[in-house]
Order: sequence, then structure tokens, then C-alpha cells
Amino acid sequence: MALINVAAREIHGKIVYYGPGLSGKTTNLQVIHARIPTNTKGELLSIETETERTLFFDFLPLDLGKVHGFTIRFHLYTVPGQVLYERTRVAVLNGTDGVVFVADGERNRLADNLQSLRELAQNLTAQGKRFLDFPIVFQYNKMDLPDALPVPILDRYLNTIKAPRFEAVAVRGQGVFETLRAISKLVVNKL
Amino acid sequence: MMPLDPDLTTLVVGEEETAQIAACLQRLLADTGASYSMVLDRAGQILAWESDSERPEMIHLGALLAATYASTQEMARILKEDGFRTLLQEGLREKIFTETVQDQWLLVVIFDHKVHLGLVKVLAKRASVILSNILDVVRQQRNSLRTPRASQLRKATTDTIDLLFRDETNDRKGRSGE
Repeated sequence: MALINVAAREIHGKIVYYGPGLSGKTTNLQVIHARIPTNTKGELLSIETETERTLFFDFLPLDLGKVHGFTIRFHLYTVPGQVLYERTRVAVLNGTDGVVFVADGERNRLADNLQSLRELAQNLTAQGKRFLDFPIVFQYNKMDLPDALPVPILDRYLNTIKAPRFEAVAVRGQGVFETLRAISKLVVNKL
Repeated sequence: MMPLDPDLTTLVVGEEETAQIAACLQRLLADTGASYSMVLDRAGQILAWESDSERPEMIHLGALLAATYASTQEMARILKEDGFRTLLQEGLREKIFTETVQDQWLLVVIFDHKVHLGLVKVLAKRASVILSNILDVVRQQRNSLRTPRASQLRKATTDTIDLLFRDETNDRKGRSGE
């Protein structure tokens, strides 16, 4: 649920990057943080394990500046992808306005992608949201790898709702900003 | 079947309600002697704040507090509790007390060792009742952003997204590859 503060003339939206472990959710935020103009971004906060896996979440506040007198702010979060942290993902998903599902394009990760996607749908439904109407964008990451599945196969198994989807090599920045633009617009159009 | 989230749509907080929230926070600070107070929504966005001094990184603190609160709700579910209504973090210099407002907003009070915790708990509880009434009014005013002016705002925001959320390196590559 987006928040509009008329007195402060501010609009806030929350976007969560969801997906299986090691699919590239944190990498997306790191790339955005590294390449977006300095006056647009806040500090990237990461709560991670000693092996640099996400423990709780990553958080990146973005400030788009003033539009028609309103300050527009997006808060980007990642969830921890490991199966162990299912209840933590529920907590981070709380109050989100849009989701980027970061799928790992590698052939041997399809089952993990499907499990994570099913869990996302269940969690959104449990929070009273209609999965089919909810702003969601798919990102097929690691598409440069030789064993990456072809896009039509990923579409057939993952994107059955025909949401916007983008191929990406997040570690090189490819597809990261296309994904961010798409989910941000979906969230704004739901305001 | 799970009922649909009553706050699925955008929550629009008007000027009058924001002023009432600010007055509530000011009174809480004056009556307790606490140094900082704020109201967050459950996504961690700061709705209003009052402080006796400028504090950095409050956006990050808001995100952390909201996520911490949400994770305690999950703990409550595991323990088959209805939920935990309050949170307390105690440091050597300062404490953070958090009280929920209808599971939608969070009232946060930061105070030092000179302030009595019991007083903060009682007065935060009282403030949460006032905030709850304000939240009811805000909820009734839902969807008021569906106006022609709001449509222009959405269009302008979309244009800003196109302008700011781009990666010159990769966008240039994409264009040259077309």
C-alpha cells in the first residue's frame, strides 16, 4: 500500500526483490546504488551473514525529487532467498506495493524458481493481496550462462500471468534498470 | 478464504490529519521528556516525526523498525499468540519503544535514561488510541487520489522514472545494438 502524505507533499512506495537464493537480488540493488545519480539515492543498507548472504534484507531508499510539487520516494528491499528464511521473507514483504521476481535462468535452478514463486503467491494472498492484479515484474537473470534456459521455456513455467519480463545479466548491469523502470511505473499507475 | 487487505489501495493522509498526528507526537514528547518520536506505516515509511534535534539516518531506522516489528509478528504466529503489541530496544544511552496502531502504523519513541520507561509505555498507549482514531478517518478518505490532477501527477512521475532510472552504459549498448 503506497502512502501519500498531502501535508508533507510526499508519495512513498515500497518495492521488494523476491526470488530464490543466489538469483541476484542483492546484485540488482548494488548495481542501482552504484550507477544511479548521487542526489537520487540514499545509503545501501545490507543485513547479511558472515558469509555475505542476505540474513534479513537489503534496503535502498531512492528519492526521485519533486514532481508537480510532490516528493516521490521509492524504498527498494530484497528478501533473503535461502529456504530457511521463509518467515523473514513474509516480514519483509509486509506492506509492499510491487514485487520484482528475480529468477535464476540456469537450467538446474528451475525447480527453485518455481518453489519461490509459489511461496510468493501464497504470501501475497495471505497478506490479502490478489496475486493476479498485483504489480509484479519478472527478471530472468544470468542469461549469459551457457546452461541458461531459453526465454520461451522460462515464460511457460514462470510467467504464466504474462507480467512484464526482462532478460538480465545483473552482475554486468544488463536488464537491471529496465526492470526497475517497469516495476516503478506499475506501482505509480496503481496509486 | 482470506479477506482482502482493507488497505490494498493507497492511503492518503490529508493536511488536517497530519497536523493532528504532529500535535499528538509533540504532546507525547512534552509529557514524557523523550527526545524523538515518529509514526511509521507498516512498510517502514515515515509519516510524521518530532524531535528536539536533527537526527541522521532516520529513513534507515524506520525501515529497520518496521521489518523488526513485522518479524516479531511472525514470531507471534509461531507461538500462536495474537501478536506482540509493543517492542523495546534498550541501549546504554537510549531506548526505543514501539507501539502498534491497529497493526497499520507504528508509534516510535526514543528516549534516554532520564526518562521513565513506565511513563513512556502509558503515554504511548494513550497516544496510540488518538492515532487509531486518526487512522480511521484516513481510511474513510481512501481513493481520493483518483482525480484528473492525480492522473497528471502519475504521467509526470512516469516521465521522471524514465529520466532517472536509466543506466547510460547499458542503454547506450542497447541502442547501438538496435
